[in-house]
Amino acid sequence: MLIYLRKRIVSSALPLVVVIVGVFALARMTGNPASLYLPLNATQQMRDDFTARNGLDQPLLVQMTDYFGGVLRLDFGQSLRTGQDAAAMALRAFPATLQLAATTMVLAVVLALVVGCWAALKPNGIADRISSFISMAAASIPDFWLAIVGIWIFAITLGWLPTSGVSGASAWVLPIATLLLRPFGVLVQIVRGSMVSALSEPYIKLARSRGAGELRVVTHHALRNAAAPALTVAGDLTVGLVNGAVVVETIFGWPGIGKLMIDSILQRDFAVLQAAVLLTAVAIFALNILIDMGYALLDARVRPVTVKA
Amino acid sequence: MSSSKLPFATVLKWPALASVAVLGLSGCTVANTDDGGAAAATDSVRVVLSQEPPTLEACESNLTSTGVVVRSNVTEPLIERNPQSGELEPKLATEWKATSDTEWTLKLREGVNFQDGTAFNAEAAAFTIERAVNSKLGCNVEGYVFGDADLAVKAVDATTLTVTTPEPDPILPLRLSFLEVVPTSTSSTEKVREPIGTGPYKIDTWDAGQKITLSSWDGYWGDKPAYAKAEYQWRSESSVRAAMVTSGEADVAMGLSPDDNIGDLGVDYPNNETVALRMDANEAPLNDIRVRQAVNFAIDKEGIVSSLYQGKHQVAAQLVPEGIVGHNSELKGWPFDLDKAKSLVAEAKADGVDTSAQISLVVRSAQFPKITELAQVLQEQLSQAGLNVKLKMLETSQHLTYQVRPFPEDEGAVALMTQHGNQAGDAAFTVDQYMLSTGAQSYFGTPAFDAMIKKADAASGDERKKEFENIFAYQNDKVVQFAHISHQTGILGLAKSLSYKPNSSSGDELRISEMTPAS
Repeated sequence: MLIYLRKRIVSSALPLVVVIVGVFALARMTGNPASLYLPLNATQQMRDDFTARNGLDQPLLVQMTDYFGGVLRLDFGQSLRTGQDAAAMALRAFPATLQLAATTMVLAVVLALVVGCWAALKPNGIADRISSFISMAAASIPDFWLAIVGIWIFAITLGWLPTSGVSGASAWVLPIATLLLRPFGVLVQIVRGSMVSALSEPYIKLARSRGAGELRVVTHHALRNAAAPALTVAGDLTVGLVNGAVVVETIFGWPGIGKLMIDSILQRDFAVLQAAVLLTAVAIFALNILIDMGYALLDARVRPVTVKA
Repeated sequence: MSSSKLPFATVLKWPALASVAVLGLSGCTVANTDDGGAAAATDSVRVVLSQEPPTLEACESNLTSTGVVVRSNVTEPLIERNPQSGELEPKLATEWKATSDTEWTLKLREGVNFQDGTAFNAEAAAFTIERAVNSKLGCNVEGYVFGDADLAVKAVDATTLTVTTPEPDPILPLRLSFLEVVPTSTSSTEKVREPIGTGPYKIDTWDAGQKITLSSWDGYWGDKPAYAKAEYQWRSESSVRAAMVTSGEADVAMGLSPDDNIGDLGVDYPNNETVALRMDANEAPLNDIRVRQAVNFAIDKEGIVSSLYQGKHQVAAQLVPEGIVGHNSELKGWPFDLDKAKSLVAEAKADGVDTSAQISLVVRSAQFPKITELAQVLQEQLSQAGLNVKLKMLETSQHLTYQVRPFPEDEGAVALMTQHGNQAGDAAFTVDQYMLSTGAQSYFGTPAFDAMIKKADAASGDERKKEFENIFAYQNDKVVQFAHISHQTGILGLAKSLSYKPNSSSGDELRISEMTPAS
């Protein structure tokens, strides 16, 4: 297991470096931020001063060496826009995204397992058709539209929830509901598919013939085989959410990393963008390893069961 | 059977544990928020802006998002311009006069203190000017208002200040109205995020990413404002900002559009913004004045204003609206005449102008409401006149490379969608940038036109008005760098519980002290 873990860490670290170098170079290829930060009729002298003050007059390679040197000392530079420490800004925004992503995924997995299992009990039955329709719709509705409609119905018309913001538990409902639908829709289909095939396996028939109740058959026997693919997909979906629920964070004014990244890209705030991307990349890197470990763990335990059956 | 089971709970264990751990750390609030659901306090004005101010630094307060919080709430200028009358009025300076061609003398108000308890005096005023205009800080106000001219300032005594300009500058007092006064304890080598001022409110807290709160300051020299607190939040979606007012989560929402469902809580105000196409006269086919005239005839401004903007905007004939010194009320928008446009293009073609050359219509996404629809209409209308127009939608930073010198080369002909706001109230701030041949945002100009502009810049009083009026007429007649479209109207969402009358400066300077509970 440890050897596997080490291998995974080494093979995932390379993409991490590539991402950081890529963001660094791509950001600078979009042009000098001087025009954004200086008044429109700034003199050439003011532009030159700005460029020199921020080290943007150095060759790209020198800038990159400086940057990596800084990263090793945990110095990520300062925000051009706010003058604050870039790493501090990224670290402040990240937990907000993580909370949103984790809560969303837990709810999505639980709901998808319930609905998916329910649908799989009678393939092509009414429950299956309803859940198939709902999950297809859920997976394909654009979040932007959903967020606005949600605000319109629940905040303005009914007045049950706040339109946006982060104050109080009720502020979580709309952002989570908006983020939830796609992972829920995708997972229901996966759970249903693998449950249908699991329920037709011989060992299920055996369990039923031994008089096990339907609930027990589903939760104790079939689900363990059906869980692995759902878990992998859930992991990938979580990565997507951590990567920044950009639209949702922007609309609901959620102070997370997705919004921070978008703002830094638009404002050419290189240091903050780099810090945010690095932090997210490290988190995804860690998450991927966790998912792989979880899957390996699951696989190792599942195997003897199938052999026995 | 049960020895090797992997029940439901185990499958869910790790994501569940992860989220419980994360949530557990902070209860049910978002990380780094200390707000567990503050109810609306009646002594507080809740404002929702379109973006978080990057800084509250006083010398950056001509940035819209900074100024709207800071100006005349936290800090105050020496002199202020009345947005209704256009007249300059005393604030921290009580009087001012030109004491020579290049020297102005200001008398300062006595008995005024900064929020840190120190006294406001000529030394602080001089320090403010030195810091914002003469230093290497790169203050936004420096380039915007003062260009690269350095000023010589002298504190004659505690309440007397002299300011000397390198060249005669008849509108120096107006320029000074852009400087927000800070105490001498402010850093002169670095910008500060939270300034100390002399205004009716001081900065209470700034939860980055979330909100800024101000509270009224007991030591204020003027009248005590009606509200004890002001709270600023920001949402980038204008429909969400509107919804916050209609649902009672905010009292004031900035920057709304006619489509935001604000209903009768929407209040219109003239925001001094003008939309126009700026044409590059160096490349075919726009290098022929007939083609530029054709562009003007081909645009159905009345149609655009009435259909896209529900009649809330006004057809424009020049870059500044009524109320700005130099606005020429004689000028009328170019009539919509497609036949005339077609014949001008044909005429140019007959004379050898390559009228099939591509014109890039360069537009900035989300710069103002309905800009995408407007761009599509313009592309269609110019195509009908026989021009080959390609629409280029860009984000702010890319758009700026077209807007400001040095312009991109090898782009072919460019028609740039421009939204120009003259918040200073004097045409010099428009003309110098957009029409001088060396102007930061000017594609061309002529020595004769430059001379006219220089003359207007140096003039004062009625003569100044006349000179600038002539410049706008001359541009429409002889230069045609612009195809003017409309003067915009701003919309503010305002809760019924609050009384406030927005004016042309409200978009940049939202004075909480002018708001009162509705009676």
